[in-house]
Parts: sequence; structure tokens; C-alpha cells
Amino acid sequence: MDQEKSEICNIKVNGTNFEKVDNEMAKKDDSKEKKKLSKRTLKKEHQKELKKDLDLNDHKISTKELEEKYGTSIIQGLTSTRAAEVLARDGLNVLTPFKDTPKIIKFFKQMVGGFSSLLWAGAILCFIAYVIEFSKDNSVSMDNLYLGVVLIIVVILTGMFAYYQEAKSTNIIASFSKMIPRKALVIRDGEKREIPAEELVVGDIVEIKGGDQIPADIRILDSQGCKVDNSSLTGESEPQTRSCHFTHENPLETKNIGFYSTTCLEGTATGIVINTGDRTIIGRIASLASSVGQEKTPIAIEIEHFVHIVAGVAVSIGIVFFIIAICMKYRVLDAVVFLIGIILANVPEGLVAAVTVSLSLTAKRMAKKNCLVKNLEAVETLGSTSIICSDKTGTLTQNRMTVAHLWFDNQIYRADTSEDQKAQSFDQSSATWASLFNIVTLCNRAEFGAGQENVSIMKKIVIGDASETALLKFSGIITDDVIGKRKRNPKVAEIPFNSVNKFQLSIHETDDPNDKRFLLVMKGAPERILEKCSTIMINGQEQPLDESAREAFQTAYMELGGLGERVLGFCHLYLPEDEFPDTYSFDIETMNFPTSDLCFVGLISLIDPPRSTVPDAVIKCRSAGIKVIMVTGDHPITAKAIARSVGIISANSETVEDIAKRLKIPVEQVNKREAKAAVVSGMELKEMSPEQLDELLKNHSEIVFARTSPQQKLIIVEGCQRQDAIVAVTGDGVNDSPALKKANIGIAMGFAGSDAAKNAADMVLLDDNFSSIVTGIEEGRLIFDNMKKIIAFTLTKNIAELCPFLIFIIAGVPLPIGTIAILFIDLGTDVIPSIALAYEKAESDIMNRKPRHKKKDRLVNHQLALYSYLQIGILQSVGGFFAYFTVYAVQGFRPERLLYLRPFWEDNTFNDLEDSYGQEWTKYQRKYLEWTGYTAYFVAVMVQQIADVIIRKTRINSIFQQGLFRNKYIWVGIASQIIIAVILSCGLGSITALNFTTLRIQYWFVAVPYAIIIWLYDEFRKLLVRQYPGSWWDNNMYY
Amino acid sequence: MAALQEKKTCSQRMEEFRHYCWNPDTGQMLGRTLSKWVWISLYYVAFYVVMTGLFALAIYTLMWTIDPYTPDYQDQLKSPGVTLRPDVYGERGLEIFYNVSDNASWKDLTQTLHKFLTAYSPAAQEENINCSSGQYFNQIEFHAPNHTKFSCKFTAEMLQNCSGLTDPNFGFGEGKPCFIIKMNRVSLLRLDSKYIFPPFRQSPQSHSFLPSSALCSKHQIPPTNQDITPPHYSNPLVAAKFLNIPKNKEVIIVCKIIAENVSFDNPHDPYEGKVEFKLKIQK
Repeated sequence: MDQEKSEICNIKVNGTNFEKVDNEMAKKDDSKEKKKLSKRTLKKEHQKELKKDLDLNDHKISTKELEEKYGTSIIQGLTSTRAAEVLARDGLNVLTPFKDTPKIIKFFKQMVGGFSSLLWAGAILCFIAYVIEFSKDNSVSMDNLYLGVVLIIVVILTGMFAYYQEAKSTNIIASFSKMIPRKALVIRDGEKREIPAEELVVGDIVEIKGGDQIPADIRILDSQGCKVDNSSLTGESEPQTRSCHFTHENPLETKNIGFYSTTCLEGTATGIVINTGDRTIIGRIASLASSVGQEKTPIAIEIEHFVHIVAGVAVSIGIVFFIIAICMKYRVLDAVVFLIGIILANVPEGLVAAVTVSLSLTAKRMAKKNCLVKNLEAVETLGSTSIICSDKTGTLTQNRMTVAHLWFDNQIYRADTSEDQKAQSFDQSSATWASLFNIVTLCNRAEFGAGQENVSIMKKIVIGDASETALLKFSGIITDDVIGKRKRNPKVAEIPFNSVNKFQLSIHETDDPNDKRFLLVMKGAPERILEKCSTIMINGQEQPLDESAREAFQTAYMELGGLGERVLGFCHLYLPEDEFPDTYSFDIETMNFPTSDLCFVGLISLIDPPRSTVPDAVIKCRSAGIKVIMVTGDHPITAKAIARSVGIISANSETVEDIAKRLKIPVEQVNKREAKAAVVSGMELKEMSPEQLDELLKNHSEIVFARTSPQQKLIIVEGCQRQDAIVAVTGDGVNDSPALKKANIGIAMGFAGSDAAKNAADMVLLDDNFSSIVTGIEEGRLIFDNMKKIIAFTLTKNIAELCPFLIFIIAGVPLPIGTIAILFIDLGTDVIPSIALAYEKAESDIMNRKPRHKKKDRLVNHQLALYSYLQIGILQSVGGFFAYFTVYAVQGFRPERLLYLRPFWEDNTFNDLEDSYGQEWTKYQRKYLEWTGYTAYFVAVMVQQIADVIIRKTRINSIFQQGLFRNKYIWVGIASQIIIAVILSCGLGSITALNFTTLRIQYWFVAVPYAIIIWLYDEFRKLLVRQYPGSWWDNNMYY
Repeated sequence: MAALQEKKTCSQRMEEFRHYCWNPDTGQMLGRTLSKWVWISLYYVAFYVVMTGLFALAIYTLMWTIDPYTPDYQDQLKSPGVTLRPDVYGERGLEIFYNVSDNASWKDLTQTLHKFLTAYSPAAQEENINCSSGQYFNQIEFHAPNHTKFSCKFTAEMLQNCSGLTDPNFGFGEGKPCFIIKMNRVSLLRLDSKYIFPPFRQSPQSHSFLPSSALCSKHQIPPTNQDITPPHYSNPLVAAKFLNIPKNKEVIIVCKIIAENVSFDNPHDPYEGKVEFKLKIQK
């Protein structure tokens, strides 16, 4: 048994299509239960396995061993038959598409859970009540049946609406991903052929060149200047060289492995495929994402809490009145029908629709601001976010190397690193700058792609590696004519950059026709360049490179390096005309030209700069009480530098290391409490226990995690969630997808983001802009506040709808309002006003308060429930009853006559019931009066709901502070209330099935005084809350 | 395993609930300390006292504004309802089925009539005055005892052989049953015509009305400006004696008030301005 289990495990971990192939697995009848049981443990183990760092040793072993392991030959490649066998075993070299829930399941999911469950329960109760009543008397009114059907229709329609909304955004996201069939150059049977990349198998020998996407995980066997872009995997923006040397224990760090889906930027390489499809590193990460369970959204939790409250209230009132009914000698079945009726009266039929519509309105608003929400509930999640774990590359930064600083004439100059780099403000008058600019332009192999004359410099596509691209664009900004300059200075010889030399050199003719000298320009690692120099250019004059100059160089180099920037040194030499006449032939093999005693010109440092909008956004997050944590795969120094420049580590806060350096004491002696900031590398994180991580997250407000693996990102997110935080994770790479999935809200980048990231995310930023998140947070917080208002508005009239039934049971009066009229309030007059509340503006600066506490700041707190149910709700009922008593009294039934009249009133055989004036009423005449009562009560509730929607505009401010007319939709809502009521009463008053009658005009105004009282009372409440913050009143009356 | 975990959370939940009910650390019951409960209760008591006051005031004002003698509106009572005695309801309205030879089958029916007519005994009508027929009985002042108005006499005798006095069986035993038709009282009603008759037209001998000539004199109609019905007011009655109802056959009989301002064709209300019943006499 044990053995079998582990086998299943293996299969699950290692492959997906295995089941089809493996005959053993075909015996499916082998107790399904066992399978189910093991599936759960399996999933856990699966995840555990993935959370451990990867165990891969193909990078350590020799090529001989590799050949043996995979049954291949480096020269001949696999044989076709062997390849076919392996293909049959392992399956295609593709990632199993993200397991998308089937549409139909998604659709049904919209209709269960949360509010919907309440409505379903209500519908079932309706049918039960109907059956009970029907079995008693088959001429019973169909109200309960109607109600049940209406409830189901509401659930289904709302579900369809939500499904449609989500499907719409999913489609937009899907349109991003493009499927391009890829080819791979592979050696099989001793010859090179091009095959579709998905047919690659383990053991294949593939060749890659610049521009290719690496088709599988490969162990590099041979490389010529091969550089890859690993940013989607590790977050490093700099190109990484790949060679055949084993350089690091960690497979992610070693240079002799190329990863599936990363791009080869330049050079060529040959490699042996060691993993394909889902077993590649990327594939494992992607499957890790799909195995990570998603947390419930905070709003779902809140709605659940709300449903509990409503259900609790409903059931307890129901039971109390059940007991009362029994004590009043009602028959048990009647009492059960009452019980069900009371529970039903508590179901807020219209709320589901109102909440769904207002969420989707917010989603729409956010989409306009470039936040596309995949899951409606995620709209609010962003608002309650308390920690943002942001990826660096591409999210906080532009994901392109850019010139950040220049050093020449013993001075550091800042370059403009904003997106368009327009404002280059450094001093360009110095002759040194002219020389430096010359070198930058000439000693550069990058070129603009063809046919981009009309594209702005920054948007032009450049062929070449990231640093050269940066330098080319930089010079393109300074002068429009880079290409012309290069043409005027034709290149006669060139040595490209390689990792041994660490410099790049080229020799040009000068553009001065009188100057026949050649110009040798060189750039490279600063210390290497300096070694080759004997002079340094200061203000255009060559000066000997003395100690002080070297020191100045060192200081500048250290300073720029300390900023996390990549520093390049530049030098040149005019070759003497007599030694190197213009016919001289340069030979780069023998290097028949000087490469020492050059003239040092300057340093240029490059960085992947932060997006210009990020610092502002970080400040806003901070003032909104949201902690921004950087989690990146990049190096700590770079990470820290970027963190500082965007404000994740604020200007005056220090890490433990900074303090140690300042006080000149060892790191161990520093009081860790003093350090606000912390930079933690993946290696350190690996050593930490969860408790230590918690400690770290608690004690430092500014944290940067560097060199983290995807698994560690997951651990960090979990750590944050342990602090009861609502965690938002931003990211774009495949490596981010597990964390995106685990987060309460995953935010992927729309442009730069990988499909895996977008699939795992709940939200996509269409403009890749971190600052869009801030807008999202604002909208999320607003909708939370507005949802409180919507719920308060809806709950209030619930009591006004419930009380008639209670009084009907206890005092035996004719029923004041019928089920159909209640439905017309819930799903008619009240719908538009409640949705209109979603448009309400914020009452104060919502970005200046702390994020809500998950457990303390509930959507529906007891203040809200009590105030709505027991104060405004009761007031409304009183108003409604007054209207009810009025219409009965003027027609002949004074209030005292109505008490306990019910048995006679409802008796079909009683056609001469006396009223207070001695008039006698037939059954139908009474019925008609009852409907008039319904209508009067309905109108009274409608009138008071107008007051209610006005008071719900604000929770603390006066209506006049908020502005009565700022939210025009409220007035649309109020107009809709009146129009619907008029139509029902006047137009449809003659349709008996609806139980409405035409009401005399004066009874429309009976409840107006109560509406005014409601408004005055709420203004009074708000005034006291504002005047006495923290008082008893504030604690009990502010919801 | 899973079940075990759930159990744990269940007991935790119970513990949490207990803690919520009584928190010994803060002295909170159900989330509030005792004094806080007192305060909030006091507030609500005060709130509801004010609320009740407001409601009482509103109702008082309402009662004060409406006319104590006549209802303000009679939207539903434009046409009076008509009822029948004896009244036995079946699945669809009034159904009077009985067997002449089976005393028990009509005993209850005659009982109902006797009981109904006790209100019309001379003793019960003693305080009422004799009215001259043919005119509405207008009273403006309250001369009757206890500041009320007078009512006209209507005694069972007026129904002659349907009074139950001469024939305690109301003709049921001989297959010629008496039915008493009563028009509902409606304030301010003025009838322009005064006949009720069943619309089936067999021989003129088929039925007779009692009192013989007319339904009721105008003075018997609840009078104009009459307030809440005078204490001893009794509705005028018409008795219809059916003389030759076909036996062993279900007969539908409709009695209508024929008057210009009374409608009897409300599709929803079978008892407005008319009464319809099924009669089946078995032999």
C-alpha cells in the first residue's frame, strides 16, 4: 500500500500524461476511495517538494555522464526512434495549460456561496411553506411560490451578470497572450534539423542563437558569447552569460544551464536538453502556482459574516415568534409557516444584485484607470490591502538598462533616467564630455533596427545587449545623428566584449578631414580600463594619472557601484599618424596596436531605473498605512539602491548594516530595533525559521528581499499573511506566479507580464504602472465604505417589511403588506438607489487612514446592524403603520377595531363583517381594502426609503458637507423610486394579481413627517459623532 | 484526519462563543460590560418611549381628524353586499343541499334561521320606534337614550310565514323553504328602487316575497346622517319562500338588488349587490 502511494506521488510530480501510458495505472477500478484519499496527501507533498529548492544535478556532472544518463551522443544527437520513445514516455514539451476552471463550473460558482446561499435557502423555505399551506388548503395564495421563483431568478440573473462581467475581463487578458509556434534546431541521427519545439525530448542536442527563446531546460555544452535574459525567472535585468562551466551549486545560479522560455540575447550555444515541458524549472513554478490554494477574498469573508448576522437575526426572531405563536394557540403548522415567513422577510433579495452591480461598476471604473479586475470580489481586496509585496524588475523599474550617472572631470553627473530621458541637465560644455561622448557613440555595437525613422528614440527597437542599447539610446538623445556620426568615423577594427578581456575596443577614422590619425576607443570594466591607462583627461587636457587621480576614480567607482549601478570605464587614444598611417592594416588577432598607456576619459554607470511614477505611489501607499515590501530575484545592492530611490527604504532609515558602518561597530552589536529597514537575501531567508521571519516582518517597516527564489516568494507571502495582513503581490515573471496566486490579491503586469503571471493574478495592470495600484486601492476602499452604506440602506427597510408580519401574528390585524409588495420594494424601488450609493464620493481622504483590520473593521458591524434594524428600521415601521392605520380608519375600520380581527377578516364565509361604523363588508370588499393597505404601507416605506438613501450618503459628515447634488445617481434613484411606485399604484392598480390599488393622493404624504424625522435624527447622530469622537455615542452610533 | 481537524475547530468555536458570552478578563457579557449594557438599554428604552409617543400622537391626530359618525370614504362600499341565511358554504360559495324526508339534514338550517331571528324578536326590538313607511328616516339630533339615535322596528313577524313563528320549520320540511336575504348595512346608502328578486322566471307562483309587497321600506335603510349604527338597529330583511323548486335537481338562484346606484356585476365579488346560491332539494 505504501509503495503504491509513493508511486502515485511520483507520477503526479513527474508527469501528467503518464496515466495514459502506464498500463499499471490503467487498473482504475483499484478502489477509487484510496485514490481520493491519497490525492489530498499527494497535493501536499507535491507542494512541499516544490517549496524545497530545486534538486537538479545535471549541471554538476560531466558531459560523458550526461550522455550516458540520457542515452544520447553530443555529436550524433538522439536517434529518431529513441526520441520517439522518450516523447511517448514524457509527452510533449509544452507546459500544461493553466488549469482553467470549466466555464460551466465558473458559472455555477457565481450562484453559490455568500449571498446566493442565503437566497437559495430562502427559496427552499418558500417552497416548503407553500407545500405546507397547500396541503392544508389548496386555494391558498401563490405568494410563497412566486417568492421562491423570484428568489431563484434573482440568484441566476445576478450570477449570470457576475459571470458575464468576469468573462469580459478574462477575455481581455486572454487577448494578450499570443501563441507563436516555435521551432528548435536539433541534432538527430547525426544531422541538423528544425523541428517544432514541442517535440523536443530529454537528451536532444539543440543549438540556439541570439534572439531565440530557449526551447527547454538545457545544459550548455558549448557557447560563443552567449548571453541570456533571465529576468522573467530571476528578476535580474542584466543579461547573464552562459558558458559550459559549472560555476555554482545552485542550478538557478550556475552559468551552464539555460532555462526554458528565457531568451538568448546574443551569441550562440549548443546544449543538451535535460528537462522538458512541466518538468522544466519554469514548468515546475507554473505548476506550483496551480497547486497553491487561494485565500478567500476579504469581501467574501465579510459577506459571509454578514450572511451569518442576517441568518442569525432571522432565525432568532423566527423562533421567538414561533414560540409566541404556539403560546397564542395558533396551530403548529401555522406557526411553522409564520416561522418561515419571518425568516424569508429577513432575506435581502435585492442586495445580491446591488452588491454585484456596484462591484462591477467599480471594476469598470478601475479598468478605465488601467486596473483590469479578473475577479469581481478582488475589487475590494485591493482596498483592504495592508502589505504590498512588489517585484522589482518591470514593476518598480522600467526593465531596461539606462544611463544613470556619468563621471568625468572628477565629478559625478546625474543623467535623467525618467521614461523619456528628455531632461539631460548635466554640463555638456566640457571637452572631456565631447571625448567621452565620442567613445560612447563609437565603441558600441548596438544598432537601431531597420525602418524606425519616425519612432521616438526611446521606443526604437535596438539590436544589441542591454548596456549597449542603453548607451546607444543615451547618445541618441544627446545628438540626433548617431548613425551619421558613426558613418563619418568609419570603423576599421573591432574587438567585441568577452568575459575574459572584459573590455570592448574599436578603431575608427576621425571625422576631421585634416586629422589623419586613427582613434582607438575602448570601454569595459572600470578597473580593467584604468589598468590600461596612463593619463586621464581633465577639462579636455590629458594629465598624468597620479595617485590622487586614481583615488578620485576609486571613490567615484565605489560610490556608483554602491548605488547598485553597473559601471563602465571609457578611454581612448589617438594613434600617432607616423606609426599608423591610413593604410595601416589592423589585425585583432595579433593586436598590432597599443592597448596600454591610454587616456582615461570617464565612467558611465547604468541601472534599470525606477519608473518615475513609483516614488510618488510608494509615498501614497505609506500614508495609506500600507507597507511596501520589495521582493526580487536581483542582487541585494541593486535591490537596495532601487528601494532607496523609490522610497521603499526611506531616506533617513537605516539597515542594521548601515548602522554598523556608521558607528563602526560589528553588525552583531547593533540593536536590531533601531533599524527600520532591512535587506534580506534569499540565502539568509533560507536559514530563517518561520518565527524569525515573523519577527523580521513585525520589527522592520521597510524590507527588501533580494535573491529570492519563487518558492521563497511564496514563503514571504505566507509570512505576511500570518501577521493577519491582506497581501497584494505584484509581479510579471513566471517566477512570481505562485506568489501571485497565494496572495490575497495578485497583480500582474499586462504588457511585460508572462501568461503564467496573468493567469495566476486576480488583477492585471494594463499600463504596467505601479501607481495604478494606488488608484486601485483608493477605489477598493471607497467601495468598501459604499458597500456599508448599501447594506445599511437595504437592512433598514427589512425591518419595515418584517414588522407588519410580526404585528399580524401578535395583534391579529389584517396583514399590512403582502409578499408581492415587499418584492416590489426589494427588487423594484430600492434597486437603483442602492446601486447609486456605489457612486458616492469618499467622505474624507480615504488614503490617509490605515488599512482596515481584517478582524476588527467589519463590513457589517453591530453598530450598523443595530442602528439600521432597531432605530431607523423601527422608525420606518412606525411610519408605515401610521399610513396603514390611516387608510383603514378613513374607510371605516378604526385601529382598535382591527385588533384580533384577523380570524373574521380572513374568513371567506363571512360576508357581513362590521366595521367601526357598523357598516358590513363582504370578503372581497375587505380584501380590496387590505390591498389598499398594502399599497399605503408600500408607499410609506418608499417615501421613507428616500430619506434613508439620503441619510446613507454619509456616515459621519453632514449631508450638506457631502453635497446633496454631487452624486447625481442618487437623484436618479429617488426618481426611480417615485416613478415605480406611481406606476404600480396608478397604472397597475387595476391588475388584481399584483395586489396594488390606486391610492388617494393624500396618502402618499402620510409618511413624509416620518421621513423628515429620520433625516433629522440621522443628522443629529452624525453631529454628535463628529462633535464627540471616542465618546459613548461615537462607539455605539458610528457604523 | 480532516474530520478530526474539523472537530477541533468546532470545540474552539464553542470556546470562542463561551468567551463571547462571558469574558472573565474584561467582564464582558455578549461583547459588552454590564454597565455598557445598562447604558445601551436605557438609550433604547428612551428611544422607544419617544417613538411610541410619536406614534400615539399620530394616531390621536388621526382619530381627531376623522369624522366620528360617517367614514370619510366608502371606496369599497359603493354597493352593499348581500348575504343569505341559512348560510352553508361549500367548495364554491353558498350551497344549500338537503333531503326533505331526512329531518336531520335540514334541522341545522332551521336552527340557523331561528338563531338569526332572535335579534328580531319583539323583546329585542323593544326600544325601537315604529316608523312611517316610504320615507328615509332622518334624524339630526340624538334623542334616544345614552345620546344615540333611534332605530326603526323590524320584527320577525313582518316576515309572516317565514318568521318561524307560524311554521318553525320555515317550510323546509315540505320542500318549500324560506330563505332570508339581508342587505349589508352601508352608511349613507340611498336606494332608488326597492326590489330584490330572483331572476329565474318560472310561473309567478314559484316564489313569494315577504313582506309581501316590497323588500323594505325606505325607513329601514340605514338612514342619512346616521352615525355609527344605533344600538338596536337591525337590518331590514326579505324572506323568499320558494314554492315549487324542482326536486332532486341543483338550482342556481341569484338574488340581486336592482337599483340605479348599486352594481351587482363586480366580477371579483360574488356578494356585491347580489347573492347567489345553489339549492338542491332531495326527496
